[in-house]
Amino acid sequence: MIRHLFKLIWNRKKSNFLLISEIFFCFLVLFAVLSLVVYNVRNYSKPLGFDYDNVWLLTARADIDSTELRIAVEEQLTQKIRSYGEVEGTALVSSNSPFAFSQMKVWAKVGDGPRILAENLDVEDTFAEVMQLNVSAGRWFTKQDDAARYNPVVINRVLQQELFGDESAIGKLITRDDSSQVQVIGVVDHYRGSSEYAEESPVIFTRINQQREAVFWGEILIRVKPGTGIAFEERMVKDLSGIAKNWTLELTTVEKMRQNKEKLSMVPMIAMAVVCGFLIFNVALGLFGVLWYNISRRNGEIGLRRALGASANQVYRQFIGEVLVLATFGLVLGVAFAIQFPMLQVFEVESMVYFIALGIAVGLIYLLAIGCAFYPSRQAAAIHPAMALHEE
Amino acid sequence: MITLKNIEKVYQTKTIETVALHNVNLHIPKGEFVSVMGPSGCGKSTLLNIMGLLDEPTNGIVEIDGTPISRYRDKELAHIRNQKIGFVFQSYHLINDLSVLDNVELPLLYRSGTSASESRHMALTALEKVGLSARTKHYPTQLSGGQRQRVAIARALIGQPEIILADEPTGNLDSVMGEEIMNVLLTLNRQDGTTIVMVTHDENMAQKTERLIRFFDGQQVSDAKTTAYDYQQV
Repeated sequence: MIRHLFKLIWNRKKSNFLLISEIFFCFLVLFAVLSLVVYNVRNYSKPLGFDYDNVWLLTARADIDSTELRIAVEEQLTQKIRSYGEVEGTALVSSNSPFAFSQMKVWAKVGDGPRILAENLDVEDTFAEVMQLNVSAGRWFTKQDDAARYNPVVINRVLQQELFGDESAIGKLITRDDSSQVQVIGVVDHYRGSSEYAEESPVIFTRINQQREAVFWGEILIRVKPGTGIAFEERMVKDLSGIAKNWTLELTTVEKMRQNKEKLSMVPMIAMAVVCGFLIFNVALGLFGVLWYNISRRNGEIGLRRALGASANQVYRQFIGEVLVLATFGLVLGVAFAIQFPMLQVFEVESMVYFIALGIAVGLIYLLAIGCAFYPSRQAAAIHPAMALHEE
Repeated sequence: MITLKNIEKVYQTKTIETVALHNVNLHIPKGEFVSVMGPSGCGKSTLLNIMGLLDEPTNGIVEIDGTPISRYRDKELAHIRNQKIGFVFQSYHLINDLSVLDNVELPLLYRSGTSASESRHMALTALEKVGLSARTKHYPTQLSGGQRQRVAIARALIGQPEIILADEPTGNLDSVMGEEIMNVLLTLNRQDGTTIVMVTHDENMAQKTERLIRFFDGQQVSDAKTTAYDYQQV
């Protein structure tokens, strides 16, 4: 029967051309949307590498030119914050703190090896404690690094793999794009600070050493005790405003920053899903209409098949089968096109993302085809053979 | 072979009730060639549909080989049609998108246990019987009316049915072609012992069969052996 159905559809390829094209384009759009969704979902399910609950970010902006004065005020602010019983710890951080809308990229390489673009975060020694980072090899920054010959850095596993492969990175030197050399003292398993939906990219944590180079950072991460609420927030901002007069102080939770980033990732997904939904709806209507028309046009053939020994159920299955074969023709073209994405590593996305999206898209198109064929096929099966033959 | 007892068929709409068949009693024994005649609308095709298990009588009993078919469900009726009955229609009912060979193979699609090569062989044999083995790869639209009807006959006999029900098989053909088709049917009846029930408007064709049943207004008005049937050849 399958051979018969393929032959029938192939011989009617001219009249089925539009339907096959529609299925082909529907598959491509579905594949694109699903690739994006699968990419985001897979990233979302991976560990972030830090804990953002109960972490706040204080951003201080000063309208004074003196860096020394700004650093002094920043120091006073930090000490004041640490003095509260509700605060468990603070850490200075560069402006590309977790879920912030800014980036700071550096090129990193080892010897004559390839240059790798990595996110550089300047962080205080307390950062690992505040963000609850897990150092899986080596150690995090400590006071003893003040006297280190090379600036110490901690990197994430992704960068370690790219620079050193399976070799240990501890103690090795990395050359940064400014030709300065830094020494790896630790490796964290994961750090995905840009977004929960983003792929993990190479990261370098550079130690803030105010004694070696005094810099005003203006960003302080604060870990508060669980359950600390808005009343404390208001009190703290009021107290801090007293210290940093005429400064702009903004206090937000890292959770809010995460939500803002989430919205940014969701918007294109939702927009594409809406467009795709409309397209699928149109294709479904088209399929349904064409099948309905085909069946009413093929009454004589249905009557003939019943006369030759087809049961109502066999007629039903034949029409469902025909739609599946039609979908297969469209999908063969679509898959041949879509398979190029993992093969050519388009957008540098993991091949598995494309394969999963491809599988789901194929399944959904078949489901759509069966869904659209269900009612017209049942109608075909219900046609009275004597009447169908008589009408013809 | 086929027995009809007190068959009645009524078509009912909201306003009109049409009696297509009334009190029809018939027995068609194995190997007989029967023709059914009557004016248009007298119920001939309805009778053929009921005999072919394509339609159900409103009242009465249809028996195939002594078993009442009212016992059977759709799937079993389809099985009987596939195994025992072959149909030939006035308008051929060929599928234009399939080749002659594929059209002839159609009944075997619904018969389990027949391999593709077996089906092909059976279709070629059937086409040979009707003299069309040179046209296997042609499509129905490339054939004449007589050739199309021969394809339809090959399709009817591929499953080696015991009964062939032919609804005006020569109705769309000129006299020469009609004669040709009639000869094919007569040969099938005489050589293979196939039971044939043929609805026709053509008195000459009907006279060539063994038995002629006449219908008028849904009722059987006569049932007699024909005089012209060549019994010598049986």
